[in-house]
Amino acid sequence: MSGFRGADKRDMSSSSRRATEKDRSVFLTRMRISVLLSLSFPIFSPAQVSTPSDLTKLDLEDLMNVQVTSVSKREEKVSAAGAAIYVINQEDIRRSGATNIPDLLRMVPGVHVAQMNAHTWAISIRGFTDKYGDKVLVMIDGRSVYTPLTSGVNWDQQDVPLEDIDRIEVIRGPGGTVWGANAVNGVINIITKSAKATPGVLISAGAGSQEGVQGLAQYGGQIGRTGAYRVFADYANLGDSPAPAGETVADGWHKAHVGFRSDWELTPRDALTIQGDLFQSREGQTIDTLLINEFPREAILDDTITVGAGNVLGRWDHTLSNGSGTSLQVYYDGYDRVDRGVGEIRNTVDVDFEHHLTLGARNNMVWGGGYRVTSDDVTPGYAVRYMPAKRTDSLFSTFVQDEIRLTRTLWLTLGTKLEHNSYTGFEYEPSAQLVWNLTTRQTLWASASRAIRQPARADFNILADVAIVPLDNGGFGVVELTGNPNRKAERLYDFEVGYRAQATQRLSLDLATFSSHYYGLQTDELGTPFITTDPGPVHLVIPVIFGDNAHAHNYGAEAFVTWSVGHRWKISPGYSFLQMHVAGDRISQDPAAGEIANESPKHQFQIRSFLNLTRRLEWDTAVYQVGRLTDGGDGSTPGYTRLDSRLGWHAGESVEFSIVGQNLLSPAHAEYHDAFAILHTLVERSVFCKATWHF
Amino acid sequence: MADRLYVTSLLLGTVLLAHAGEPAFDEYQVKAAYLYNFAKFVEWPQSTFANSNDPIGICIVGQNPFGSTLEVMVKGKKIGDRAFVVWRLRDTQQVSKCQILFIGAADQKRIRAWLEALKGADILTVGETEDFTAAGGIIGFRLEGTRVRIQVALETAEHTRLRISSRLLGLAEIVTKQQPIVP
Repeated sequence: MSGFRGADKRDMSSSSRRATEKDRSVFLTRMRISVLLSLSFPIFSPAQVSTPSDLTKLDLEDLMNVQVTSVSKREEKVSAAGAAIYVINQEDIRRSGATNIPDLLRMVPGVHVAQMNAHTWAISIRGFTDKYGDKVLVMIDGRSVYTPLTSGVNWDQQDVPLEDIDRIEVIRGPGGTVWGANAVNGVINIITKSAKATPGVLISAGAGSQEGVQGLAQYGGQIGRTGAYRVFADYANLGDSPAPAGETVADGWHKAHVGFRSDWELTPRDALTIQGDLFQSREGQTIDTLLINEFPREAILDDTITVGAGNVLGRWDHTLSNGSGTSLQVYYDGYDRVDRGVGEIRNTVDVDFEHHLTLGARNNMVWGGGYRVTSDDVTPGYAVRYMPAKRTDSLFSTFVQDEIRLTRTLWLTLGTKLEHNSYTGFEYEPSAQLVWNLTTRQTLWASASRAIRQPARADFNILADVAIVPLDNGGFGVVELTGNPNRKAERLYDFEVGYRAQATQRLSLDLATFSSHYYGLQTDELGTPFITTDPGPVHLVIPVIFGDNAHAHNYGAEAFVTWSVGHRWKISPGYSFLQMHVAGDRISQDPAAGEIANESPKHQFQIRSFLNLTRRLEWDTAVYQVGRLTDGGDGSTPGYTRLDSRLGWHAGESVEFSIVGQNLLSPAHAEYHDAFAILHTLVERSVFCKATWHF
Repeated sequence: MADRLYVTSLLLGTVLLAHAGEPAFDEYQVKAAYLYNFAKFVEWPQSTFANSNDPIGICIVGQNPFGSTLEVMVKGKKIGDRAFVVWRLRDTQQVSKCQILFIGAADQKRIRAWLEALKGADILTVGETEDFTAAGGIIGFRLEGTRVRIQVALETAEHTRLRISSRLLGLAEIVTKQQPIVP
């Protein structure tokens, strides 16, 4: 699994895109020829060759004329993995018509994407959907963007120009052995292209009914004989969305981003990557909040989120004289975010080292270690405070994983992570995976793993005033969510079985099933009420203290098929099923301990179609059917069907125009409910036009 | 209108399906077949094998893009008395058992270093990156439209004791090592 860690730079999809372009012209030419010669003059007749092993019967001359298809690229790349991996490649990104990363993730079976407002998403893998989806680890080029304050990911401040993404690898199921804490239900690795793959000028501009305007300008060049770089700037401005009652809510979004990446081949043995970003964002949201300074006042107000963020990352890949490889990565990441009045300034430095080597004839091993230190300064917001206001945490980690060849077709991977964090001390995350290549076309795999979610700063230190309770004596009480410095890590014991098959040259299938057992999940336990005058006026505080007294047993399955119907038409249906059983332990007093199970749809169905109408014209359509979210106290969200369609036109070698319609089936629908004081808005039907010019 | 377009595209799809009779294989199934075929057209020096029935070792170094395609494809196949054995290696430490050695594009960063380590060895190095032959490899796969073609760096091969048959050379594009790298 370590091979998917983002260091490899295979630009597979761009070569496959080149192949498809030619494919079309070759196909047309051949059609003409076959019509002309009425099939009596075959160029190459491979009728006797229908299975891969027959290929060995061919002469070199014949082999040179065999058509290759790129149908199974994705499956081939992941075919050796003992995990449920889905790779979103460049072609998927370009043809999705998506303008942001969350919309791209909709295509991955098992992932639930729920948009709360123009810039806020609740995204989960295999359940536990939450604005602070705390069980999925997200990384951009090896840099963790999982926030240690609240856990989860601030998706609004993760901006990567989609044109520069090489691929997004989504791993459903635990990845703790390699990636460490919080890779509980899945890992999302966003990997950008090498600067060598993006020479020249790229300009893209778009405008739409909901997206407002957006633009990207990029230049890539060479530095000497061995280096390459790119610099870019992008900007986007999104309009407001409607609220459920029909009125427009000020959730508009302005963001600007400049960044660079440079890749160097210093010596034949040394490759260096240096990259960095500066990002600024301003977003509106309507919140229904208490006001600490004006107790007992509760107000609905328009709030502004502001974000300033920057990072710089360096990675050095070295090949030792024995041929084994090491990789050293160092990054700094800092941001200043104001959200619901809470100001968070955070600085993080991370160092990671990895070494891949072969041991004997049967063992491929990778081991590594890392250190991360993160410090923050958090100022109080309207209703949320952190005590203490400043905190510095460190994380030491080390892991080893060995891939053992048992027989010609049977592989066993064993490994564990051992880490020490400032909250719960030592943690370990072992896993075992067995991969059995039944035939060239079929793989069966099984895995067992333990993963943990490390408590976030909020689990220990938050004080959030969430409700006012009038008292009989004329006074009032405040329900206060209170962090608990004794919280333990959440633990997952996970079992998976999967099957992948290339049924024919045109049809592939991927199936994964899982059974997941969680312990130490969060509960809200009633504390002892007390009277305070800080902040005034005098009032009763009813503390609700975080506990770790819930457990869960979830199971489910995800399946998807890729079918190349012809040279010009590919469809990919997918389905995911999830059954969650969450309950409080006997000692828990939390009556709502099981309600997180209502936040994720039981059934999700999707079908995507990619059709090349002509050599230059593409018509792509995706339908997503997402099941109902039942009422967990915040209101229920009806199931919905979302239809996105894109028409793309290659006007020439370097110019592409596209028109994208999103959510075409209804004027507006809700994907999620109000949460964390934020009032949700609806996702509207929208049309978006885009032009991309590359030279 | 949209309905008609859809029906038209369905029909178009059916027509295409009907015409798409020629089977197409995955890129790596074809590349695997090439690796097998190379063994027929390359002669290794006598000293390479201790016995006349020693197997021919095909090694995949670094990330394996073949899945188990290669293993299954060569299973039971023989050239003369020699069977095949496929090894997957993480690095170039144990290449003494390799007669044919493949490095995939995923390990782009290490290709030069690995080829450096293999310099002059009697191993047929095969790769798929654009600059593989320029970096010191012997045979490079190249995608030409939907077909896989080969390039041979004859000069590099001449520095080893391998003898590549003229039949293979006749079908390949011969490149010199000094050829400029395509940017």
